[in-house]
Amino acid sequence: MVTTRDLEAHFEFECKACENGHCSKADVEKILAERKGLKDFYETFKEHIRECKRMTYGQYMFVIDREILPEAVLWWHNHPEFKETHLSTAVGTDERPLNGKFAFIPFLNVQVEPLNMDGNYWVFLKTYMPADDPSFPSVAAKLPAALWIEREVKDLLGFNPINHPDPRRLILPEDWPEGVYPLRKDMDYKHSPITEPKTEYRPTPKDTSLVPMGPVHAGVEEPAHFRLFVKGEEIVDVDYRGFYSHRGIEKTGEGRLTYNQILFLAERICGICGYQHSVSYAMAVERLADVEIPDRARYIRTLLLELERIHNHLLWVGIAAHLVGYDTGFMHAWRIREPVMWLVERLTGNRKQYGMNIVGGVRRDLLDYRKEEVLKVVRQIREDTKKFLDIALNTNTFIKRAEGVGILPYKVAKAYSVLGPTARASGRKIDARLDQATKTAMAYNEVDFKVPVYKEGDVLARVLVRMDELFESIWIVEQLIDQMPGGNIMVPIGDLPEYEEALGFTEAHRGEVVHYVMTGEKNKVYRWKVRAPTYNNLPAIPEMLKGYHVADAPIIIASIDPCYSCTERVQFVDIKTRKVKVLTEAEFNELSIKHKGVF
Amino acid sequence: MAEAPPYSEKLKSWDRFEAERFSRKAPITTPYPFIDIEKPPEYRGIPHINPEKCIGCGACANVCPPDALIMEWDKEHGVKRLTYNAARCIRCARCIEVCPTGAMEPTTRFEIATNNKEDLVEVVEHKLAYCEDCDEYLDFTERQIEYVRNILPREIFHLYALEDRIKLTQEEKMRRTVVKLRETEGNIYSTFILLNTREGGEE
Repeated sequence: MVTTRDLEAHFEFECKACENGHCSKADVEKILAERKGLKDFYETFKEHIRECKRMTYGQYMFVIDREILPEAVLWWHNHPEFKETHLSTAVGTDERPLNGKFAFIPFLNVQVEPLNMDGNYWVFLKTYMPADDPSFPSVAAKLPAALWIEREVKDLLGFNPINHPDPRRLILPEDWPEGVYPLRKDMDYKHSPITEPKTEYRPTPKDTSLVPMGPVHAGVEEPAHFRLFVKGEEIVDVDYRGFYSHRGIEKTGEGRLTYNQILFLAERICGICGYQHSVSYAMAVERLADVEIPDRARYIRTLLLELERIHNHLLWVGIAAHLVGYDTGFMHAWRIREPVMWLVERLTGNRKQYGMNIVGGVRRDLLDYRKEEVLKVVRQIREDTKKFLDIALNTNTFIKRAEGVGILPYKVAKAYSVLGPTARASGRKIDARLDQATKTAMAYNEVDFKVPVYKEGDVLARVLVRMDELFESIWIVEQLIDQMPGGNIMVPIGDLPEYEEALGFTEAHRGEVVHYVMTGEKNKVYRWKVRAPTYNNLPAIPEMLKGYHVADAPIIIASIDPCYSCTERVQFVDIKTRKVKVLTEAEFNELSIKHKGVF
Repeated sequence: MAEAPPYSEKLKSWDRFEAERFSRKAPITTPYPFIDIEKPPEYRGIPHINPEKCIGCGACANVCPPDALIMEWDKEHGVKRLTYNAARCIRCARCIEVCPTGAMEPTTRFEIATNNKEDLVEVVEHKLAYCEDCDEYLDFTERQIEYVRNILPREIFHLYALEDRIKLTQEEKMRRTVVKLRETEGNIYSTFILLNTREGGEE
């Protein structure tokens, strides 16, 4: 069994920075030999790589020239051996106060071997841009997964992705003036200018009519505006405008909070997967500070993460049943879910927003007599869910509406970097719990569970993936309670190192949550970037909707388990993007009317 | 009067009233606003400031993520004001963790809906310590000084001559240090002690 102590990052050597690969004197050859694929990348782009280093265990950074950014990203993404590699997201940073440059960092989840956390790693491709010309060649022109993120940095930081196929506003509201970039360091976090609203909807394609859906989604009860272009009953195309619940959380975190206060803000990004965000953020800071948290804290975190997954999947299956008109299922799913909420309330002090984390461990211990109650509740849930599924999956109302609807093929799922159960229902074998080294913050390496994968890619497959996962989660909870070690529940962190970067990640119920943290001076955070899984899943929705009926739209949209609040922690607005060639906006619009579908 | 059971026993024996109803399957909804709901003893409700224990150190205001706790100084009237606004509170209970005297008390109250926003605000005013030499109020409260007196061992108090210096402003303390330094010219040991005195006095 591997324990955290085995991590190389925690060995004590004379020069800790060298050993971690941060130091300029660190042996590049040695770092590149650590993981499969790094050496090949270095050889291929040798003359464009300025620097390479290991940020922390399993996270590598290459500083590359901006000209080759798309090639470098695609080299990893289309690597013939590393099939499930995906572009996770990218971060734009205003580093002008440090070195007078802007930085754009796409990062990839490189999967040498699926579900092998010691073989896989993250690759950061950092590109510096001069302050007077923050532009870079667009990756989105060749890879749809980068569509939103490049529009995001364009809105928030004023970067210019050259040849981006759809350079409309994504995040900022319509009444935000041009040329004001909120995430630049020279803007105060309280500043909020307003001008006349200016909407940029896509024109309705010829011979279609418009069915607006939103601005508030009927089933999920959150703001998102879908504009369905229909021919009769059939959906031909979709335009999306969201980011109505952008709250500027990242700016607030960078502007005035200390690193422990951000933890609670991170937990409030989402009402459902709050603890996942909290753990991700804590993990990023712990990686930075290079501390090893006690085993008991890792177990308690994992236990709560899995309890959260259980109640979320039950909540989701309830909503799915509700959206197809099977309200009995909705009532029963939520009835089954309620005891988990009660249990968590007693374990942590609240039904949601557990407030259990602190950087370096957890705040409340799990009292021993509670263990029996946890087991009692999860066993009850297993019984009840089995009974519920027995009935629900034999109900025609449910099956007929879910089967063969909203199909997302594997190739599209990969091109959009779709994550979580949505991806697993389309045959992608990914699960951030095992894919990447979560062992510093969570105990997934010490429990046994399977990752269910379905090939069908329709709504029913997404239901089944989630239900299989639910039973796996119950099994994980039972193992955790059984193996729970004793000892402390937290270690103090002390001062954070300055200007270090690290990534924290968990597998939320919808996919991988990623928190990128760059520290500043005096224990503050210089840059904090949150990427919720819906951010990657939502751009793929138009691909799922095309060709199905308007009546199927709510269930297809809900089938990715969208969470607009998490996605929109930074504002954005999107519209489905299509053809991918080098075009001006007008040409692009023209083309989008003529052509149908990219894939 | 019967003795209350210990807290740990209370934790074990507590059960929610809906649980029994839940096992019977139906009906499982409760007429909530018309009945009182008791939250479990572990529940993190809105905290409450106990003004008798509070010393006005501001540790809670420093850690509060949403600024529900604010510390204000009113030097003219010699008042330090700690304001708690339950409407801003996210119930993370960080203030309860960091409070040195246990003045932030946890409760299991969760219903804060009200017609009048002022109901949600708790204000604790502290008297600031007064420096008679400079005719000025200090940054810290009389209770903070009292607290320092109680926790510091007597010897340290005497060693750093805190009895005289604890109620002085920063400037006055520095001035006196300079005067003392001139007096004890060349004696490095006592200089060292006097320089450290400042830290002791500030708490």
